Amino acid sequence: MSGQALLRLEGIVKKFGDFTALDGIDLDINEGEFFTIVGPSGSGKSTLIRLLVGMDDVTSGEIRLNGARIDQTPANLRPTCMVFQSLALFPHMSVGQNIEFPLKLRKEDPAARRTRALELLDLLRLPRDYYDKRISQCSGGERQRVALARALAFDPEILFFDEPLSALDYRLRKTLEKELKDLHARTGKTFVYITHSLEEAMVMSDRIAIMKDGRFEQIAVADEIYGQPVSRFVAEFMGEVNLFALDTGTDGTLSSDILSIREGARLSAVTPGASGLLMVRPEYVRFAETGESYDFTLSGKLHGEYALGSRIQYELETPAGMVTVEKLREDRLSAREGDDIAIGFNADVTHFIGDTP
Amino acid sequence: MPASRSTRIALYVYGVLVIFFLYLPLVSVAFASVSRARYLSFPIKRYSTKWYGEALESSTVSDLLTTSLSVAVLVTVISVVIAFFGALAFARYQWRYRTTFQKLILLPIFFPQTVLGLALLMWFNSLGVIPSWKTAVVAHLVWIAPIATLIVAIRAYSFDPALEEAARDMGAGTWTILREITLPLLMPGLVSAGLFAFLLSWGNFPLSLFTTGADSTLPEWLYAKMVSGYSPLVPTLGVMSVVGSFLLILTALAVAWLIRANREARAAQN
Repeated sequence: MSGQALLRLEGIVKKFGDFTALDGIDLDINEGEFFTIVGPSGSGKSTLIRLLVGMDDVTSGEIRLNGARIDQTPANLRPTCMVFQSLALFPHMSVGQNIEFPLKLRKEDPAARRTRALELLDLLRLPRDYYDKRISQCSGGERQRVALARALAFDPEILFFDEPLSALDYRLRKTLEKELKDLHARTGKTFVYITHSLEEAMVMSDRIAIMKDGRFEQIAVADEIYGQPVSRFVAEFMGEVNLFALDTGTDGTLSSDILSIREGARLSAVTPGASGLLMVRPEYVRFAETGESYDFTLSGKLHGEYALGSRIQYELETPAGMVTVEKLREDRLSAREGDDIAIGFNADVTHFIGDTP
Repeated sequence: MPASRSTRIALYVYGVLVIFFLYLPLVSVAFASVSRARYLSFPIKRYSTKWYGEALESSTVSDLLTTSLSVAVLVTVISVVIAFFGALAFARYQWRYRTTFQKLILLPIFFPQTVLGLALLMWFNSLGVIPSWKTAVVAHLVWIAPIATLIVAIRAYSFDPALEEAARDMGAGTWTILREITLPLLMPGLVSAGLFAFLLSWGNFPLSLFTTGADSTLPEWLYAKMVSGYSPLVPTLGVMSVVGSFLLILTALAVAWLIRANREARAAQN
């Protein structure tokens, strides 16, 4: 391992009465990383972040920051800071007073505080005259920036985010996602972000952890999570996916009840004899013209066509259930609902998820 | 949205009822207070401010005002302090007996005040405490502090608990959070609770009647004078009491307005 992790979690367990919210979490987060924890509601991600900032106590396990244990340190003495889902901007203070709040607590002198607050307004591309504005006079996006400025004024070792973009409308969210990624690059800080949105995670993060039932299912870079999910849960959580039951023989031959398989087709990196699910993302599925040959083929009836902006999504009714196919708008299919359609894809665009014994 | 015909009629009826049963009686008291005659009779033959002069000079009146004011001010201060912490317990913190507390605190409000007054008088007697205006403060508090607590609790419910967590996260300790975040956010609730406490205590009759002992508050004296020996000072003091209450509310509104104007002026700079 290269160097020491900035934040290290070892065997974190959190119980509320009989309910186990976190069931043995191990994690290393590196200095300067943008790390995102994604999971559906109830997966334990909010519980985890509350433990990390010190708003709840661990039941067992250790949290180490730069090697020193912090799990018994109260929130106000930890060198970390969080941007809340509700942003938690103080409504009785001006924008400037909000940003200066952590500096005021450290008894920095008013002139230095003001200078720093103005610098942070510049960094977050807010006009300097916002210094004296009331929070109620700021728009949603501006409040977001004020909350970030306040957290950065604290100058934390790690900046935590608890779904701060979830309340905003789509366009603004997309803009702020990019700004946040840009801010991460410019400040060089370690960001730990939690969200239930896969898109948000994919746009911003260096690494993503997928959480389910108080455990991590997979921790990897975005491409790997998208292309090589370790489980059906991760595959389905990370967007539209087609899964087909598949068995491999001891000699590597493939067999399926649903897919027609080309003679000699093989999957690399699969233990012979394993059975599991063959995954293919909708954008890798081809409509098979007559004469074309694929490793895997299947036919079905066109069930529906949905416009997704730049792409068109098709749903096909097949013996394997609904199969989703996505095409760019320019590759639009000229077929009607109910038409018979054949689809195909090659082994190199698939990923095999083995059954866990 | 324009009001429908039936809504308009209902509003007119409501307005007429308010004028007829609330403002006209008050106005008639005001007229009685400026009558020169010793006994109340309409129409008033000669107008005079003589009784106001007498009221201001009378030592009885100044005693009454001092007693009423002492009780009301003490009740206000103590109920606001109780209401602040009570409201936090009521609305902000999760603790074991919270729902029990929320129900129990409402009980005194449902007691008829005369019963409560009687009960307290008997209790003071059995404790060997001689009733005076100080025991009246306790009696008023039993009834008024819960109301003040409820007023502040409504305010406490409406603010985001994450505000306190955020302050803690940025390094603030418990007292700093209370001073910098909780207190300023609850301030509007505390001010209205204080106003209510003062006015409820200032105008209270049943609790005072039982618990002031030899002392007398303004409402008690007004009642006593109506029962035995009318004096033109009765409407005079009645009017002075109402005007005093109005002045208090106006002052509070003016202070609130000044604070807001000051804040906006600061925001408008730059």
